[in-house]
Amino acid sequence: MLLGIDVGGTHTDAVAVDRNGVAASCKVRTDHADLLVSVRGALENILSRVDRAQVRRLNLSTTLSTNAIVEGRTEEVGVLLIPGPGIDPYNAMLCRHFHVLSGSIDHRGTEVKRLDQAEVAAAVDSCLKADIRVFAVAGKFSTRNPRHENAVRLALCRGEGACARADFLTLGHELGGRLNFPRRTATAFFNGAVWRLYNRFADAVEKTLADLNLGHVKVNVLKADGGTFPLALSRRMPVQSIFSGPAASVMGIIALCDITHDSVILDIGGTTTDIAVFAGGAPLVEQDGIHIGSHPTLVRALKVHSIGIGGDSALTVLNGVVRVGPNRLGPAVAEGGSVPTLVDALNAAGLCALGDAEASRSALAVLARTHGREPEALAKEAVDAAAGSIHAAVREMTAEINDRPVYTIHELLEGRRIVPKKVYVMGGPAEVMKMPLFRKFQLSTEVPPDYAVANAVGAALTRSTWDLELFADTEKNVLFIPSLQHRENIPRTYTLEEAKRDAVRHLLGHLGSLGVVLDSAEAQITRADSFNMVDGLATVGRNIRVKCQVKPGVAFRLTGRA
Amino acid sequence: MLKAVNSLGIIFFPAFDWSISPTHPEREERLLYTQDQLKEEGLFDIEGIREYKPGVASVEDVERAHFCFPEVDAVTTRSHLISAGGAITAAKLVMDKVHDRAFALVRPPGHHAMKVVHGSRGFCNINIEAVMIEWLREHYGVRRIAVVDTDCHHGDGTQDIYWHDPDVLFISLHQDGRTLYPGTGFPKECGGPTALGRTINIPLPPGASDEGLLMALDRVVLPILADFQPEIIVNSAGQDNHFSDPITNMNITAQGYAELNRRLAPHLAVLEGGYAIQGALPYVNLGICLAMAGLDSSGVREPGFDPERLRQPRKVTDYIAEVCEIAGGLYFNPPKEPKDGVFADKWFVRRKNIYYDTDEITEAQTEMLRLCGNCRGLLKIESRSTNNPLCLGLEIPFHACDECRDLGYKILEESQLKGEFRYIQFVNKREKEFVRYGF
Repeated sequence: MLLGIDVGGTHTDAVAVDRNGVAASCKVRTDHADLLVSVRGALENILSRVDRAQVRRLNLSTTLSTNAIVEGRTEEVGVLLIPGPGIDPYNAMLCRHFHVLSGSIDHRGTEVKRLDQAEVAAAVDSCLKADIRVFAVAGKFSTRNPRHENAVRLALCRGEGACARADFLTLGHELGGRLNFPRRTATAFFNGAVWRLYNRFADAVEKTLADLNLGHVKVNVLKADGGTFPLALSRRMPVQSIFSGPAASVMGIIALCDITHDSVILDIGGTTTDIAVFAGGAPLVEQDGIHIGSHPTLVRALKVHSIGIGGDSALTVLNGVVRVGPNRLGPAVAEGGSVPTLVDALNAAGLCALGDAEASRSALAVLARTHGREPEALAKEAVDAAAGSIHAAVREMTAEINDRPVYTIHELLEGRRIVPKKVYVMGGPAEVMKMPLFRKFQLSTEVPPDYAVANAVGAALTRSTWDLELFADTEKNVLFIPSLQHRENIPRTYTLEEAKRDAVRHLLGHLGSLGVVLDSAEAQITRADSFNMVDGLATVGRNIRVKCQVKPGVAFRLTGRA
Repeated sequence: MLKAVNSLGIIFFPAFDWSISPTHPEREERLLYTQDQLKEEGLFDIEGIREYKPGVASVEDVERAHFCFPEVDAVTTRSHLISAGGAITAAKLVMDKVHDRAFALVRPPGHHAMKVVHGSRGFCNINIEAVMIEWLREHYGVRRIAVVDTDCHHGDGTQDIYWHDPDVLFISLHQDGRTLYPGTGFPKECGGPTALGRTINIPLPPGASDEGLLMALDRVVLPILADFQPEIIVNSAGQDNHFSDPITNMNITAQGYAELNRRLAPHLAVLEGGYAIQGALPYVNLGICLAMAGLDSSGVREPGFDPERLRQPRKVTDYIAEVCEIAGGLYFNPPKEPKDGVFADKWFVRRKNIYYDTDEITEAQTEMLRLCGNCRGLLKIESRSTNNPLCLGLEIPFHACDECRDLGYKILEESQLKGEFRYIQFVNKREKEFVRYGF
């Protein structure tokens, strides 16, 4: 039995799932003041209906970190940067305690300029004086050589083991091997900013589970990239848990539907519609990473695009044209609101009867009269407008995906275009929007069973994933995996094939050490390049880059049921 | 957060799976570190800067700029067509007003490819700027275009293609041809009879630094551009003037390149040469991107940058001042007659011998331009090389007069009947007709 909890903006959804399907599900209101109350409430509800001895795993998706950042309830972080030459680092100044240090490393990991120890000491002292206990350190090209970042750690912690002068420290290269210094900086910063809050929540979750006699249950946390990671690891990388909500929905669809074609996934909520695109059966991952606040980060995420069209989106009429959203001006009239919404239009068009449908009809009649229109026609036009906006957004998104940069002739010539052949719809209004959407898309449109709790099902079934980048430079005789802080010497004869093998070995080994046992077939090489490096007219070595991941996926599917 | 003052589209195509040979300077590794640098700097996260994938140029796109013998497919690889396609994509972004400016960071380069192509010269097979310019003219009706070539090597290919074209101003700044391949690019080379003063060459002595480059820009290039009033300015952005470049002898820095771009403010930049792939290209490309976007680039510093060591000697400065005097004068007071050909009846005839260093081909050609008076004139080139027997290229230009157009068709017919040409390529830009014979 697997449990899934998705702590959302309005509701906390929970399910218990086994191979026979959804054994129990519930929705409780989210208590924003104390998320644990919602988690506990949902858990108790579910456990009252299933045998708790059968529960093996709990997967949790929470908006805790996201909300803390949005609401500014985060901790102050001391940011220490070693940017070297290039774009002025102050353009991305994130916080008050922001120190730029001298020293630089180049694209091949060669130290160009030494780190200035006196500057490091001064920056650390200044932070400590301001009672800063959490630090983020990032150097340009630290993913090629972490020497300067490690030196700052040493200066801050004065030795091995627990750090005497800091409670928590994030080094940029530990976040992964991807290049992008401003994103690395922001990611390290946010990781520190939510660290304490997140760990308190994790403590509380563990305590609650013990209280509920569920101490034996393995707890995983959802990431935005459609995977989970063990709670213990999430304590060091809380930033990875941010924006995992849409990922839960997408994974839910994977669990509930048998997706094999290029497809579009629509999750229609109250205020927004989340759009995801699948290439074949697999969801697409954002190439760079998500934005937190207005800061781009390295947090990997499924490619999900949100538009301001949902059940509660307000209707407006401008120059005779009906529009839906992007504003939300309170709930639907049918639910006691004052401004007619998409739900009211659906009610007035006779497509559903949610809440007080009569109130919806009269609100639409008032709106229609003001603009000299027939109420029924206006309602229909509103529904079509919503479907039209979603359709336009999907087209734009697929065009953008098909336009993404490629770097080799092979990719350009072989690069297959994504042409959606099927539409999957979930969320509250899914069933009633099915036909209007079908008329726009003219594609097979499916609404899965359990569509209302698909997100929690997704949370429950999502597998653990991890990814890593490996760099090898045979001229320097070194191999480096930044996210594992693994560095070793390699011979000059080291090849791309060996690098691929090593990448998979380290990925599975790392997951294994966290208690996630996977078969090597689950690991996937997503990028493998080897460049001859030439000096004068002789080849002096090879620059090898390998990316490897465990594919996002679900433990099992719930398709083919009655 | 940073926002570009001028929005910038970047077509980045490093062709990570194409090279001339494993150790050739123009190889897969060439843009590898540039990619690393641009990504690590977060350049594509800056608001207003976006990366695009290149298009692929068609055979006809190439034939608008070149006579290829025996045919386009024989002298190009996919990579060449993508490189030219990348330049076209850049031009399209600017013409459609998607971006204020665009930079095609593509390889292989193209500015040594001349009007006639039998193979590869100076690592170039087709002239990607010329393919782009001819595409711009056909699809957007752009007429007046300026190409400022800042590659360290003379842009002899671009010069050759636009030698007779008064609507394309070609200015090349390069290391003096007496000291570097291809050995041309002197002020006296200033255009054919219908376009005298529309080709301007500014040879700089070895050891010239940022100071000399910017002096030539300020004293010669900018005043000429102000007078010529081009609709589009293209920078043929070779980066081998860098002090660390292994195959040249100049002392330009990343800061110098950035400042050049800031002052020149090209609509389009297209990457050409530059072979200091570790120590220069990442920094120079970053500097150019920032300058084109109107952003601060003062923090860009390459390893080994030492202003003292790179200071330009006084005598170099004085020499450049003299060159500027001569070169600048040629645009405003061009010579009355060209010196490199003869007038025969209504035709201007030039004979040329061309060596393709990369492919070791020698070519002999007779170029004939009909001096029309009503249009740019019919162009006819007879060419033979160690690769191909006698071939003919015939071109009816954009805005051709009826007389030149009709004469073109008449010559085409006669040439086929006489049968002395193994291959014939006929391009009628006025009616967009492309015909090839001999396959």
